[in-house]
Amino acid sequence: MNKKTKWILWGVFLIFLIVYPLVFGIYYTNVFVTFTIAALFSVSVNMLLGFTGFLSFGHAMFFGAGAYGTAIALAHIKGLPLLISVFIGFMSAVLLALILAPLVVRLSVTAFAMIHMAFGMLMYTLALKLRNITGGEDGIGGFPIPSFGVPGIFSIDMTDPTNFYYFAMAIIGFTLWILWFITKTPFGCLMVGIRDNAKRIDYLGFKLPQTKGVVYLIAGGCCGIAGSIFALFQNLISAYELHIMHSFTPIMMIMVGGVGSYFGPILGAGIFTMLGELTTRYTERVELVIGLILIAVIMYFPLGCIGFYHYLKTKYLKRKAA
Amino acid sequence: MNILETKEVSHDFRGLWALRNVNLQIEKGERHAIIGPNGAGKTTLFNVITGTYVPSRGKVFFKGKDVTKAKPHDMVRLGMGRSFQITSTFPRLTAFENIRMAVLSKRGIRFNLFQKVDKMKSITEETDAILKRINLDGERDLPASALSYGKNRSLEISMALSTDPEIVMLDEPTAGMSRDETHTAVELVRRLTEGKTTVIIEHDMDVVFSLADRITVLHHGEILAVGAPKEIGENQAVKDAYLGEMEV
Ligand SMILES: Nc1ncnc2c1ncn2[C@@H]1O[C@H](COP(=O)(O)OP(=O)(O)O)[C@@H](O)[C@H]1O
Ligand SMILES: [Mg+2]
Repeated sequence: MNKKTKWILWGVFLIFLIVYPLVFGIYYTNVFVTFTIAALFSVSVNMLLGFTGFLSFGHAMFFGAGAYGTAIALAHIKGLPLLISVFIGFMSAVLLALILAPLVVRLSVTAFAMIHMAFGMLMYTLALKLRNITGGEDGIGGFPIPSFGVPGIFSIDMTDPTNFYYFAMAIIGFTLWILWFITKTPFGCLMVGIRDNAKRIDYLGFKLPQTKGVVYLIAGGCCGIAGSIFALFQNLISAYELHIMHSFTPIMMIMVGGVGSYFGPILGAGIFTMLGELTTRYTERVELVIGLILIAVIMYFPLGCIGFYHYLKTKYLKRKAA
Repeated sequence: MNILETKEVSHDFRGLWALRNVNLQIEKGERHAIIGPNGAGKTTLFNVITGTYVPSRGKVFFKGKDVTKAKPHDMVRLGMGRSFQITSTFPRLTAFENIRMAVLSKRGIRFNLFQKVDKMKSITEETDAILKRINLDGERDLPASALSYGKNRSLEISMALSTDPEIVMLDEPTAGMSRDETHTAVELVRRLTEGKTTVIIEHDMDVVFSLADRITVLHHGEILAVGAPKEIGENQAVKDAYLGEMEV
C-alpha cells in the first residue's frame, strides 16, 4: 500500500467516524463508545503483554484508578473542566503505577502475573470497603458531567450522547495514536527486545527495570484514560468494574484479536462487542459463548485473528510463488 | 597494561567451587584464548567478569576500576561486549532489527519515544553496513529464528561487537558448527576483532593456535598455565591433562 492510498483510507475512516452517530442513532453510538473504551483498555494491556512480554491479571485496577479519579474529582470539585477531570483520571492511574513499579519491574513473568492478581483483588476489596470514598457496591454516580468548551466563548453539552461520542473518539483516538507511535520508536524496539530476550537487552547495555518501568507507567496511565472516559460515559463507577473478570476481558480480547500486533486488540474488542450485542438478543449466557470462542481460537489459531490473517497471507504468497 | 584483571576470584555454586583463586590478566590489544575441558569453569569465569554473577570471593578490575559488583549493562556501558555459548539473539526480530538494537545502544539511544526509528537514517545506514560486513545483507529481513545455525551464530558474534566495545568476550563462537561453518566463523572473528582486545573461549585447538596471542588453560576451576601458544603447546602438564583429551 503506498502512502497516498493509506491517507485516503484514513480519510474515509475519519468520515465514517464523523457520520456514524448521524446514521446509526443513539443506541449504536453508545455501543461504539463502549467498544472504543474496551479497545483502548486492551491496547494498553497489550503494550505490556504483546510488546514487552508481561502478562498482568490486575489491570482493571488501573482502569478503576482512572475511573474513580475522574468520578471523585467531579463529585467533589465544583466547576472542574472536562479535560482536567480526564487528566486527573490519567494521573491517578499513573500514580498507582508509580507506586507499584518499583515492586513489580524486577519480577519474573509468572510472579508479575500472580502479584497483579493479588493487587487487583486487594484494590477490588478496598473499593468495596472504603465506602465513604468509593461508595462501595453502589459506587459513585450522578456526579456532574462538565460541558466541553471555553467559558464565555463556547460550550458543548457532554450529556448529549452524540457530543460525548465525538469527545470520546477524540481522546481515545489520540491516546491510541500515541501508543501506536511509541511502538514505532527506538523505545518500542526495546520493548519487543525485552519480550524476545531480556538477557540480551541487559547485555546490550540497556537497564531492564527502568525500561520496564516506563512501559508500565504508559500502560497503566492509558488504562486510566479508558477508565476515565468510562466513568464520564456511564456517569457511574462502582467496585464491580475492579473485579478480576474485568482484568481478564482485555486479555481475552487480545488473544482473540492477535497478541503479536498493535491492531489485534482493537479487532478483538470489536469482535467481543459485536458478539455481546448479538448474543444478548438470544441468551443471557454471554460468557458461555465468549468462553467457547476463546477455546476455539486458542486451539485453532493461537495468534488470534491477525495471526490467522498473516498465516493465510504467507500461504497465498507461497502458492503464488510456486 | 592490563585492561582486564581478576584477583583471587572464586565462585561457589552451593558447594561446587566452579572457580578457585583465578588470577586472569588480559593485556590491552591482545587476543587471549581461554581453553580447558567441559566443566572447567570457563563460562562461569565469563559470567563473573561480565556481571551475570558477583563472585563469591575476589575482585574483578576493568580499566583499573573495581567492577566486581557491576551489572551486565554497567559492563557494556564501560566498553565490554559479550557473545554467548548458547545463541542469544532476538528470535522474532529480523537480522536487521537484531543488529539495530546494538547500534541504538552504541549511540546511547535508550528512552527515545519521540522519533520513528525507521526515519533515523544514520541508524539504518550503520546497521546495513554491519549486515554487509557479516554477510547477512541477503537475510536482512528474515527473523533470526529463520536463519541457519551458522548465520545465527554470526549474528550472535557481531551483536557483541556492534556496540563498539573496547574488549570483547566471545564464549565458544564456533560452538556446534560444522567444519566449513567454523572456518567462516573464525575468519569473521579475526576480521571483526582486528585491533580490539579479545577474550575467546574455544575448544578447537587449530582455531586457538591460529588466533590467540596468549592462552590461559583452566582446569577444575583453576588456572593451570598461561603463555604464548607455543609454550602452551609444549607444556607437559597441559599436554598430559588436556590437549590429548581435547583432540578426540
Ligand atoms: N548456574 C549453575 N549452577 C550450578 N552449577 C553450575 C552452574 N553453572 C555452571 N555450573 C557448574 O560449574 C562448573 C563449570 O561450568 P562452566 O563454567 O559452564 O564450564 P565450561 O564453560 O568450562 O564448560 C560445572 O561443573 C557446571 O556444572
Ligand atoms: Mg561453557
